[in-house]
Amino acid sequence: MIKLIKMALRDLGRNRRRTFFSALALALGLALLLLMASFIRGEMDGAMDTTIRLQSGHLQVRAQSYDESKTSLKWEDLIEDPDQVAAQVASLAPVKAASPRLFATGFAAAGNHTTGVRIIGIDPLSEANAPYREGLISGDFLTPDDREGILIGRPLADKMGLNAGDQILLSANTSDGDVSEQPFTIRGIYSTQTSAFDTAVVFLPLGKAQALTKTENHASTIFVLLNDKEQTGAVVAALQSSNYALLTWTEMNDLIIQTENMANGFMVLFYLIVLGITATVIVNTLVMAVFERTREIGILAAIGMKGRRIMAMFLAESSLLAVGGILLGLVLGYLIVAYFTSYGFYIGDIYGSSGSDFLIYDTIYAKLTLGDTASLTLIAFVITLLAGLYPAVLAARMEPVEALRAEK
Amino acid sequence: MKLYLRLAWRNIWRHRRRTLIIVLAMGLGLAMMMFYDGLMSGFDQAIYGNAIKVLGGNIQIHAGGYSSEAGQDPLTPLSDDQGVVTAALAQPQVLAATRRINTGGLVSSREGAFAVSIVGIEPEKELAVNLAAQNVIAGRYLTAEDGDVIFVGKGLADAMGVTVGDRITLVGRSTHEQTRNRTMTVTGIYDLGMPDVEKGTIYISLGEAQSLYDLNGQSTEVAVVLKQLGQEASVIRALQPVLPGYDVESWRTNFPELVAAMETKNGVMDIFSIIILGIAGIGILNLLLMAVYERTREIGLLGALGLKPRQISLLFILEGTLIGLVGVAAGIVLGLLFNGLFRQVGLDYTAFSGVTDFMALISERIYPSWGVEKLPGRALTVAIISALAAFIPAREAARHEPAEALHHV
Repeated sequence: MIKLIKMALRDLGRNRRRTFFSALALALGLALLLLMASFIRGEMDGAMDTTIRLQSGHLQVRAQSYDESKTSLKWEDLIEDPDQVAAQVASLAPVKAASPRLFATGFAAAGNHTTGVRIIGIDPLSEANAPYREGLISGDFLTPDDREGILIGRPLADKMGLNAGDQILLSANTSDGDVSEQPFTIRGIYSTQTSAFDTAVVFLPLGKAQALTKTENHASTIFVLLNDKEQTGAVVAALQSSNYALLTWTEMNDLIIQTENMANGFMVLFYLIVLGITATVIVNTLVMAVFERTREIGILAAIGMKGRRIMAMFLAESSLLAVGGILLGLVLGYLIVAYFTSYGFYIGDIYGSSGSDFLIYDTIYAKLTLGDTASLTLIAFVITLLAGLYPAVLAARMEPVEALRAEK
Repeated sequence: MKLYLRLAWRNIWRHRRRTLIIVLAMGLGLAMMMFYDGLMSGFDQAIYGNAIKVLGGNIQIHAGGYSSEAGQDPLTPLSDDQGVVTAALAQPQVLAATRRINTGGLVSSREGAFAVSIVGIEPEKELAVNLAAQNVIAGRYLTAEDGDVIFVGKGLADAMGVTVGDRITLVGRSTHEQTRNRTMTVTGIYDLGMPDVEKGTIYISLGEAQSLYDLNGQSTEVAVVLKQLGQEASVIRALQPVLPGYDVESWRTNFPELVAAMETKNGVMDIFSIIILGIAGIGILNLLLMAVYERTREIGLLGALGLKPRQISLLFILEGTLIGLVGVAAGIVLGLLFNGLFRQVGLDYTAFSGVTDFMALISERIYPSWGVEKLPGRALTVAIISALAAFIPAREAARHEPAEALHHV
């Protein structure tokens, strides 16, 4: 066995440049696939994390009849006494934060500009709202008893030409199906680096939002963050007996999961094509090597080497080539991925849609998992080996007598 | 040159198998590009077809500076809207040009509230070209005399739980920085099969919009419908000089995310395609290196016969390029087969309508095009990569000393 590998190594070394280029083809292919896989993973994990942090949370507690698509504010669709419900949820061990939120649809006007907005009434002190507080780029965050302040996103402020301290006129739907309108002062401007969210969402303190929409002491949902999202099931079980509807992050973000599945489906096709091309390049090199060494194979056979051993020798060659190419590819791939992991890839506002269920940062950070690396490496190795079978069989099948006589 | 081509052509078929394998690699690469291109343009077509249905025209004309505020729907009136209509209708490709008022607003009922685009239209003129008008499923379409009535989509009616005759509150904005709050009666419901899009657009008569937004006799947009799709660019070019001071834009301007998404995706794919074709190019490189080595004596002979090193290089570069071009041919066949297959079955994307505004415009299965839109560019890339791949072997071949090469065993 060791002899075989030694021979294979020497054979590969006979034409170093050719061997290098074949390995390079495999390396480029593998590096490209690692990059693609890390992008998809980064995009999807990023979308899931961002959506959970900003929009869905790990769990939401709502009234049974609440329909998210309507942003209803009828009292019977809301949770009464939300602070108490939130406190009850927060008392469970796995819960990191539970905070009431009120959703309303609104219409903001300032100067000559108007735009539809999504109003969220929040408890400014809750830990659940840390992403917005930390994203504050000018002015101050809201306080619970602020009656005139509003927090808006940077893209909205930019489009409407507004700064902290400016006035904005906000209309919102109310519990009785009417619309109420009131001027607000912009306390602060936030950015979560997620254009779709920042453009659409404005924040009011919960108390003020309730007053504006005539929903005293009611909230649309209890937004729950857990210490570990794997514990969602346990928390759901603990709250099961309550009269509320419980929505988990997987249910609320079904779209992201579906998108990821679709992307992965396409990726498999892409992997196979790229590795198929890589494999043909390697097959060709090895086939040429077989023909170049026709006489040599004849001699080996003539001195008693069995067909199976000859085949094994060529398979050893393709395995070594595969190992070399894969190592080179891993190095190359990791370097490129490392760049995109730290600097990211700016995609801009391509998911920019108000009220989208799919939130993602403006920049995608590549994320290469060990699992992806291992499976891609394995696929690349197997495909290269399969490609090596053909030249190996060709070599093994040669008739010693004819091979010996073959023209150089 | 012709002689070289003939020589190169014969040379590449001397070892049929290895050439065919590389041709397959190139072909696979190109076929994949064609599949991608086909899918993208299938997307584009599906969105395009529906976008102009929703927007009511392929081309929109606004007052100057409007597009920089796209999404805000400013109530900036056109200074001479009748003149714009006349100018547009003067173009032979134009089927209709209608005046509109476009603004943002909020509709609200006890069931819930939605941010919408409020579109004031000239009902009679739009009837022939507005798909919403042609797909009324309950009640009736608008008339010019209508006041206080609105025409909504099925998606919105379902979500708000309203039917014909119900009243809903409409909030919009007038030009004088006040909000206008008006209770309106639903007169009719249209169905375009795109619930997410229908939720976003309601229609009122132009007259009603003018009184609601203090735009007496004015309008903010002229929507132009062409007789045939695909002539937008030429019509826009013809209209721009006639309408100085106006923004003349195609439907794409209304979907900046779509344009950005397509650009990003295509940019990434272009880079990937070069890498993938580069891998296949390595195949050509190896093949030719081998050929140079095998044909050492032959190269010596050519040198002895008086071929200059440059001419010998040329021969090898031609061989590489020819292999690439045969690969293009194989790729076209493969790509057409691939796309032909997907054109039969189509791809279902309707589940993703919530992802972005433009995805909401996809109402049925996507059928990829044949993928030949970018073929010339892709083929050229293959040819260039093949020629570059042949460069190292060609230089090698040219370096041979005829006398030594002839003696090579």
